[in-house]
Amino acid sequence: MNAHPWRQRLYHLVLWVVALAFFMPVLWIFLAAFKSSGELVSPNPVFLFRPTMDNIIRVVQEPNFLDYLRMSFILSIGSVVIAIAVAFLAAYSFSRYRPTGTNFIMFLLLSTRMVPAPAVVLPIFLMYTALGWAKTFHGMILFYVMFSIPFSLWILKGFLDGVSLRYDETALVNGGSRLHTMFRVVLPQVKPGLVAAFIFNIIFVWNEFLFNYILGGQGTTMIPVLLATGVKQGGMTDWSFIAAISFIYMLPLILAIYVFQRYLLVGMTFGTVRGEV
Amino acid sequence: MSNTGLADTPILRLEGIAKAYRGTPVLIDLDLEAAPSELTVVYGPPASGKSVLVRILTGLEHPDAGRITLRGQDITAEAPAERNIGYVPQSFALYPHLSVRANISYPLDLAGVPASESRAVVAEAAAMLKIEEHLDKKPDQLSGGQKQRVAIARGIAKRTDVFVLDDPLAGLDFKLREQLVDDLRGLNAATGASVLYMTSDVIEAMTLADSLAVLSAGSIVESGPPERLYRHPRAVATMALVGFPPANFLRGTLEHRGDDATCNTPLFRFSADIADNRASGDVIVGLRPERVHLSHGNGSTVGDSDGSITFPATVTLREDLGGEDIVYLDASGIPLAMVDRDHDRSTDLGDAVTVFIAPSQLTLFDATTGDRIGHGAHRPSPSAARRPPPASVAHHG
Repeated sequence: MNAHPWRQRLYHLVLWVVALAFFMPVLWIFLAAFKSSGELVSPNPVFLFRPTMDNIIRVVQEPNFLDYLRMSFILSIGSVVIAIAVAFLAAYSFSRYRPTGTNFIMFLLLSTRMVPAPAVVLPIFLMYTALGWAKTFHGMILFYVMFSIPFSLWILKGFLDGVSLRYDETALVNGGSRLHTMFRVVLPQVKPGLVAAFIFNIIFVWNEFLFNYILGGQGTTMIPVLLATGVKQGGMTDWSFIAAISFIYMLPLILAIYVFQRYLLVGMTFGTVRGEV
Repeated sequence: MSNTGLADTPILRLEGIAKAYRGTPVLIDLDLEAAPSELTVVYGPPASGKSVLVRILTGLEHPDAGRITLRGQDITAEAPAERNIGYVPQSFALYPHLSVRANISYPLDLAGVPASESRAVVAEAAAMLKIEEHLDKKPDQLSGGQKQRVAIARGIAKRTDVFVLDDPLAGLDFKLREQLVDDLRGLNAATGASVLYMTSDVIEAMTLADSLAVLSAGSIVESGPPERLYRHPRAVATMALVGFPPANFLRGTLEHRGDDATCNTPLFRFSADIADNRASGDVIVGLRPERVHLSHGNGSTVGDSDGSITFPATVTLREDLGGEDIVYLDASGIPLAMVDRDHDRSTDLGDAVTVFIAPSQLTLFDATTGDRIGHGAHRPSPSAARRPPPASVAHHG
């Protein structure tokens, strides 16, 4: 192991440099949130500066900001929780009853998530206009539920397939109902899958811009739309404003990802890599 | 100890059970009875349909045809929960999120038994299976054998008089199996419950069973006390499956001359006692390895005076089991197995030996139906032994 300590240290150094390079854009925006606009747009990068809270205070006092932030929380958490509840029931059925064409049905459900969002935004917009759901709260939350169900279903089905049918059968023979079996016997065994599906989908919905911009209205706008549309001030892009919003907005998600990163892995592998959780 | 269940009304009766998956029959016209308070063992080789039988018994699947009667009630259409059967699944299926204690009391909790009462039952079951010190652990802190004991404890904690155990000792190490077989025997004796026990291990089956049912190719070929199945099998499949090492089989033809029946096999010919005077025809001759004897040296010096059939063979393999050897022989191209308790001969590989068989130890089965039709007789037959084998040799098993 330690035959070449200097070489190993070199590897680790390279690793850290690369990782920090990946982190630079985030770091830049975090630092920018505490810079004056002069320091921020200076052609020579300013590394040493007097941090100021002015930007943050200005953003929080912005009339719409807290409304939008609240909407981000409500839509993200609300839709993902609903989606996971639905997906658990669906995944249980797919895993236990294996309806004919399970794989194809699972593929169809995931298909909207496999194409670029702009490709499906128009058909969905037309559907929403026809249904009268555009610019409504229930339409928006329903869209994000639909948006979050496929991945949740895939993740949870992976977990449920890992829970032996013998658990269900033992429960049934011992006098348990099907609902008892689902919620008292199987559900507790896929908790890591629920967390994985939650964190994985929260990332998507929290950062979603396009559909919120096209389908949403004044009452259902989330922060990413504000970032993209509300940043002009006197014909100029207000970078301090962007940086401050970004800082506030990124913080909860980055903390959540850091805390739940091991679940993120199982989410990305649809529950097939579960050793760690 | 053993009774055939004829005197008592069976607590469980399956009649004409059939089940097919995607057109492939798994169970075919299966009949089975279990007498109250007895330990009924269903023994079948892997893929004989045991698991499907368990699923049909517990109600996890419904048969395509047939009737199940439990405690005198037709339960064919009843859901698993309504049957009130204690169940120990093959895989332990212990709930990982529950403590051992909660796992064991699970069937009681489901039935709404008050905690004060279930604690006593759990303590009793845990004591019986010697897992008291693990009650507060989670299943993943236990060894395989301990998990299995917990699964058995959970099965028996249920308040019922009928238990189904699906190969509960499969995959456990030998010592533990023996211990648990003893435990299960004691348990059955102590509780007086009716136990239906599935296994693919013949020794386990014979050790445990009050009544043994042999499952082969989707139906029960024969059932009864294990001793009878071993000594007087009525079906060729029973003789093939019950006993270790497995029985030898030879193809033969039966000829009737007057009142005498003679059976020809590729290795020898012998007089036979046939139950009803059947027409001549193809038969299968069964022979227990325990009933084959051998002697070194030239077989021709041994006469037929004691009525034994003798023929030459070569030793091809010896498996030392400690107390005895299983010896594999080649008799003119036909493989035979035998049990040899003489350890001094462990270096006779490749040696020519003489095989002795008492004719009464030969069991004859109809080659078409597989039913037993008779056995070898000691009646001296002038040319009974040492017939040269014919060129084309057909053998069985």
